Amino acid sequence: MAHESNLLSALSDSLGTRFVTAKQSVASVKVSATAYLGAILWRNELLVTSEQSLPGRDAFEAILPDGSCMRGRLAGRDAATNVAVIRLDRSVSAPTLSAAPPRIGSLVIAAGSDGEGRPSARLGLVNAVGPEWHSMRGGRIEARIQLDIRLAASEEGGPAFDAAGDWLGMTTFGPRGQILAIPAATVERIAPVLSASGRVPRGWLGVALRPVAVPDELREAAGEVSGLMVMSLTPEGPAAKAGIVAGDIILSLDGISARRPRGVLAHLGGDSIGKPVSLRLIRGGGIIIIEVAVSERPPA
Amino acid sequence: MSQPILGSLSQSLRVAIAARGAERTAALRGLLESLGHVAAMDDEPADVVLADAERPRDEDRATVVLGGTDTGAQGLLPATASPAEIDAALRAVARGLIVRSAPRRTPGFRAATDSEPRTLLTPREAQVLDAIADGLTNKAIARRLGISLHTVKFHVESVFRKLDASTRTEAVARAGERRRQETIDL
Repeated sequence: MAHESNLLSALSDSLGTRFVTAKQSVASVKVSATAYLGAILWRNELLVTSEQSLPGRDAFEAILPDGSCMRGRLAGRDAATNVAVIRLDRSVSAPTLSAAPPRIGSLVIAAGSDGEGRPSARLGLVNAVGPEWHSMRGGRIEARIQLDIRLAASEEGGPAFDAAGDWLGMTTFGPRGQILAIPAATVERIAPVLSASGRVPRGWLGVALRPVAVPDELREAAGEVSGLMVMSLTPEGPAAKAGIVAGDIILSLDGISARRPRGVLAHLGGDSIGKPVSLRLIRGGGIIIIEVAVSERPPA
Repeated sequence: MSQPILGSLSQSLRVAIAARGAERTAALRGLLESLGHVAAMDDEPADVVLADAERPRDEDRATVVLGGTDTGAQGLLPATASPAEIDAALRAVARGLIVRSAPRRTPGFRAATDSEPRTLLTPREAQVLDAIADGLTNKAIARRLGISLHTVKFHVESVFRKLDASTRTEAVARAGERRRQETIDL
């Protein structure tokens, strides 16, 4: 019975074989005395992992696919795309990852860290694929990939592959327990920038904003039903220097409605640095326009 | 549960201490006393046991363990737990509940979403909500904001509707959750 060939055992064998290849690209990054985070051995001396779960320090210890332990240093991190890059102290042999776009309904094999530094496997489906999107922190992500898999905390940050063994992206915890993949295309765009210069330049105003409804009596004059209220300002930041104060309600930025934070975030990409933007805002019952010189977002 | 929950919140517990060394035992006794509980002597009956890092072998009473990894204990708190957390855990475990500290929850990597104007608070409503969070009554809110009681009631009703809340506590909780999700750093 044990060796009888059937569909199930053939599937199981194929998965096992795929995983033997997949785990050559999986590393574990030690994030505390007892916890690991998954990572992708992306280049011979570079690991890619999930920025949101990587502690804020410079030195890390990683366990490589062959089980060896190696130290590394943070090369750069980008909270806007959830990509962090760690440079290993020595170069190792990283397998070539061939990236492929995801297909809804196709199988996904995800690899991560089992919590003790060894590789672990997950099997599921590509649950949904959507178009390009912008994260809350302003990063552009090439596609929205939702995975129908379970993921332990130590498994985030590892690679997800399709049935052909092509690389789909890096697993990431999304909102409300959703499992996302940061597309391979996003990692391939951001990781080289991080490894070269440590950060991805983004425009910055130095304000924390919260959506609010425009009070009824101002709606007509504002031409908007909602805006972004300034909750706090970074001292000496671009907005503070331009005279923006807490309580101002931003209606639009260079004509882009604040009702669409996505558009506003997209407008403040790296090429906005050094340029002025015009903010239309409500202050003290009136509407004013203030120009702010965009500067580069400082490292978090 | 025979007693109303509020009654049990102020009740003093008899707590047996299981710690290594006189110094640590004295420290835990001091903590218990500051919380209004009574440290039980070795052979006295106790409502609950407070153990340092590990549960004594053969301990079959409900135990709260500080630090360590004893997942079999009824209560397991990190060694860094605050007195308030220890107090809450002791009370819960003495009542037969199981206590774990919630894992640090990251909000998750999320998309920037367009605002839904119908559920957004106006600046005035946000001020009213802040006052509710401070525990103020409608009358006190009216005084703080310099508006009439009638207007306050109107705003409170609108806040409840927009946050889909039916109590003040619920409104504050919902708003806190939303704030975490909606704050944008530009």
